[in-house]
Amino acid sequence: MHGSAEDPLIARVAAELRRRPPAPPDFEARVMAAVRRLPPSLPARAWTWLREPRTLAVSPLGGLAAAAGLAALVIVGAWAATRSPAAGGAARVAAAPAAARDTHTLVTFVFMAPGARTVTVAGDFDGWDRVQMPMRRDASGLWTLDVPLPPGRYQYAFVVDGRRFVADPAAPRAVGDDFGQPTSVVTVAAGATRAGRGSL
Amino acid sequence: MNARILALAAALAAFARPPEATAQTERLAGRLDERTRAAVEAIVDSVRGAGVPGDPLVNKALEGASKGADGARIVAAVRALATNLARARAALGAGATEPELVAGAAALRAGASAVFLERLRADFPREPLVVPLAVMADLVARGVQPDTAAQSVLTLVKAGVREADLVAFRQSVERDIALGAPAGAAATARAASAGGLATTGVPSIAGQTPHPRKP
Amino acid sequence: MNQDVSDGVLVRRVLEGDTEAFAGLVTRHRERGLRFAAGMLGDRADAEEALQDAFVRAYRGLRSCREPDRFGAWFLRILVNRCRTRRAGRRRRDGLFVRDEAALERAASRPAGDPDWREEIDRALVRLDALQREAFLLKHVEGLEYQEMAGLTGARIPALKMRVKRACDHLRVLLQEVNDARVG
Repeated sequence: MHGSAEDPLIARVAAELRRRPPAPPDFEARVMAAVRRLPPSLPARAWTWLREPRTLAVSPLGGLAAAAGLAALVIVGAWAATRSPAAGGAARVAAAPAAARDTHTLVTFVFMAPGARTVTVAGDFDGWDRVQMPMRRDASGLWTLDVPLPPGRYQYAFVVDGRRFVADPAAPRAVGDDFGQPTSVVTVAAGATRAGRGSL
Repeated sequence: MNARILALAAALAAFARPPEATAQTERLAGRLDERTRAAVEAIVDSVRGAGVPGDPLVNKALEGASKGADGARIVAAVRALATNLARARAALGAGATEPELVAGAAALRAGASAVFLERLRADFPREPLVVPLAVMADLVARGVQPDTAAQSVLTLVKAGVREADLVAFRQSVERDIALGAPAGAAATARAASAGGLATTGVPSIAGQTPHPRKP
Repeated sequence: MNQDVSDGVLVRRVLEGDTEAFAGLVTRHRERGLRFAAGMLGDRADAEEALQDAFVRAYRGLRSCREPDRFGAWFLRILVNRCRTRRAGRRRRDGLFVRDEAALERAASRPAGDPDWREEIDRALVRLDALQREAFLLKHVEGLEYQEMAGLTGARIPALKMRVKRACDHLRVLLQEVNDARVG
């Protein structure tokens, strides 16, 4: 490299540029106001989740029980979750701002896996990250997570113990599988967000 | 070619991309090796002019990355998706939304013909088509033949069923299949009975009346 | 309050749902961000907007920050892109370099006999080619290594070195006279 690193003029210019005036005092407040208007940790994209009309039924891992056969349950409209708010997760989602409520539908992912240590959801809505969306477990080994999503069609899978991808036994499959592992699909209809609970 | 020229060309190419393109594929940083990433970016760039959105392609690449697939497989999957998205765009038109294109690409991959998409769009120029397209693909994934799946969906949509009823239809078919019914028969039978719902006059997918060809 | 908490911890908290933890990251990285954006865009208001935009994007895309402890570098990359987009937007709206010319006019509107060092620098910076300005700021003001700059901008190291060299040469030409007058 040239002697520009030792060049006194350049050094003075750089020193002066480093002494910029500070950010305005309300800068943080403005950023956080904008941030709070977003859905928690999710990109605002036009996807659709399918609103299922029935109450939740759990299908055991590995099989489609005859009595079940349901895709992810979607709760439309009111954001107060049907489940008692566990620490974090559901309670925070319920506190989402009003603006997001109009465009997003709450989807509840459910997965029965008593033997798992951790289960996360990975899919098109979170860049297929294996760790960012941890599910919460209840005493019986049922894992759940509420996710607010805009209308659209998403592929996803559950990640068990950080390594193993498992399709949702209660959801439709993606056609074909690109990477050697089956994937599930959930679709959210745009019209769903206009319907009241129980009407679909 | 001289390695130096190649390096310069690569550097120039990196800056020939418009800033919004770089922002779009930002998400790939750190998830893919440089060569795979460049290949994916090239695919995204090459189909942008055809009206294909980049986000679904980036999602597909990230899916592969997360599942530990090698670069060649990721590129192949992204390319296949780009092709189907372009076909969906051609069939569904310039006004189709990103979710519609993604659902359309899924339907095409499931074996729907471009004609199926074009017919849906022609019959329902202003309704969102995400759910009919998604249901068609979901049925094929459960074992229904593509033609049967497409035909059932078209029958229901023309009969004016609501999105929710399409969902219920798909669930019924899945349940029947789980209980042992042949896939095609289940789809056809359920379509016939679900089609009857539309005559009750409730708001339909095509608008406020059961008539599908409302202007 | 946040002094003891690393960027990595804050990022993980945000991802687990603690939105307010993001404010800590904003506080920690806003000065440097504003410094870069102001140097890059030449206009304070533009810089604040670009910086705010970058933070919001960083929040939205936070899950793709693969090394939470290196949030700063990841964020700077987003900011570099935001600044480029704004420049591109300006060019599309106003024609090539018109906005840069406007900044130049603003900087030049002071009476000639008022040698403010900062303003001279601003004036000179605005006249640099944008990519050279960017490389100069990253190298000499932000103090990044060429390897980091390559990762941030996607450019190869030789190209970056060339840009920095040209920026320095150009700045020297523009500022030597003024500098001599001040020092002498």
